[in-house]
Amino acid sequence: MPEANDVLIVVKDLVTHYGETQVLDNVSLEVKRGEVLVILGGSGCGKTTLLKHMTGLLQPTAGQILYAGRDITLLDEEELAEVQRGIGIAFQSSGLFNSMTVGDNVALPLREYGDMDERLVKPLVRLKLSLVGLAHAENLMPDELSGGMRKRAGLARAIALDPPIVFFDEPSAGLDPIMASGLDDLVLELNHLLGITFVIVTHELDSIRKVADRALMLDQGRVVFCGAVAEAEASETPRVRQFFERRADEYIGQQVR
Amino acid sequence: MTDSRILCPAELNQETGRQLLAAVRECSIPEGQEAVLDFSETKAMDSRGGAWLVEIAHLLRARGAQFRFERQHGDVAEFIDLIEPGLLAVTKERVEETGGVAALGQQAIDFWAELKEMVNLVIDAIYWTVIGPFEGKRVRWKLVIDEIHEMGVRGLQINSLMNFLLGLIIAMLSAAQLKQVGGVIFVADLVVIAFARELAAVMTTVVVSARTGAAITAELATMKVQEEIDALRGMGLNVSQFLVAPKLLALLIVMPCLVAFGMVMGIAGGAVWGIGVMGIDANAWWRESLHAANLHDVVQGMLKSLVFAVMIVLVGCHNGLRVSGGARGVGLMTTRAVVMDIFFLIVIDMIFAVFFYYF
Repeated sequence: MPEANDVLIVVKDLVTHYGETQVLDNVSLEVKRGEVLVILGGSGCGKTTLLKHMTGLLQPTAGQILYAGRDITLLDEEELAEVQRGIGIAFQSSGLFNSMTVGDNVALPLREYGDMDERLVKPLVRLKLSLVGLAHAENLMPDELSGGMRKRAGLARAIALDPPIVFFDEPSAGLDPIMASGLDDLVLELNHLLGITFVIVTHELDSIRKVADRALMLDQGRVVFCGAVAEAEASETPRVRQFFERRADEYIGQQVR
Repeated sequence: MTDSRILCPAELNQETGRQLLAAVRECSIPEGQEAVLDFSETKAMDSRGGAWLVEIAHLLRARGAQFRFERQHGDVAEFIDLIEPGLLAVTKERVEETGGVAALGQQAIDFWAELKEMVNLVIDAIYWTVIGPFEGKRVRWKLVIDEIHEMGVRGLQINSLMNFLLGLIIAMLSAAQLKQVGGVIFVADLVVIAFARELAAVMTTVVVSARTGAAITAELATMKVQEEIDALRGMGLNVSQFLVAPKLLALLIVMPCLVAFGMVMGIAGGAVWGIGVMGIDANAWWRESLHAANLHDVVQGMLKSLVFAVMIVLVGCHNGLRVSGGARGVGLMTTRAVVMDIFFLIVIDMIFAVFFYYF
């Protein structure tokens, strides 16, 4: 079992802008090995932006993102790619390559970086696909899959190289409750069996309660809560309470920035 | 029933998995016996080890042998449960090709379906462009103006340059021939007639189909892929009215202008060679050119330009709306649209040539 206090990623005082608009304001957090960390918050609060920074897809205005002590905001392209090989990202709209079969999509990182026996690629692809319940879909094209299947295929590709950490953007967005719940189970199983650390961006309350070890809540680019989910539900902070009680803003117009 | 028992290693990973596969390969399983993989000693496995299990299952199935897993416990049992579908699943291979006659039939069916779509689009587009406005249907004039700017004003430079260079080349080539019969001055006639009837329209169509035709296909294809076309339909809006008609109107206005510019630039290109390089008197060249100029030829070129405009927009829209399969589909359809444009350009041009030859 992994050590509970073993920290994988540290984000320090992250500030970022899209043009003139400040999207993240001094965000700091830690991701511990073996945990499921959920980043939550309303639409447009900067969740996905934070995820993209943590995966090195965007450059912040200021602040540090440390992987084992290395600040990835300072790395050059090659060094960053090196770090990125060690993480898995499952995108909101799956990011599968439409021109390849599902199997080839999963095989791509294996063939490019896997440094493995070519004989092992095909069975490994089949294994990853059966982990996400898509064993039969190996030879289908992505546009022949439903939304939920595409998400799961995206997850299979993200875990292809057995990364210690997987980032998952909006796993349950656009899925029916059964599928969404199945995906939550899957996250827990992969977390338990393969020891994968998950950082999940979501705003689905049910999903948060089910999978999260810890939660980080953003509001208008600022961290308003960080801690266990049970603490979040008992929190006195108005914004957090409102989120967990699912209450609408009185004047929703005021929230538009 | 007896069985052949194979003991699995304490830790199943990439290395030990490979050895296990070798052991299974060597172990001969007699007819009617079941292979049993015994996991009693196995305490840990990773996904590469699991992948070897998938390969072993595949191998045993290929040999026609029955097999089962036994005495797995703890995490290993959970892991095996999770990958079980992968061990048993038989995936369908993609069938890409069908036999000769069936393929031919399929092609005929596809062709017929595409033809019907195309005819529908043509009828719709003509209605919304030509008839609709007179029946008080709305035309998006602002969009038409934008398109005229994009297709015409921004394409003017490259189109003019291409026609100018072509004029230069034609003058160069024909001068070499006409010099031998002592009629260099007739280069002026040839350039004027060729550009008025034929070359300006053809060259401009090539440029516009590469610029505008490809852009139309890519735009509509991307809209289709991102469900924007469905959104339009869902709002009860007509795709031809909303997207096709403004483009068609714009290009019907732009194309004759570009061709007219092309004619002037091509003739100018010829003159630069004739006067500047071959040293023919400018006045003589000017008189000869005016003598050769003929309204009938210019009308012919203009008429073609209108037909080509309709062709480019409809081919572009047709291919854009037929897209399937995401980013790759967009690329394929854009290529197809440009190839179709060039092909139809030649076919239509030939029909015009035959028509004007006899009438």
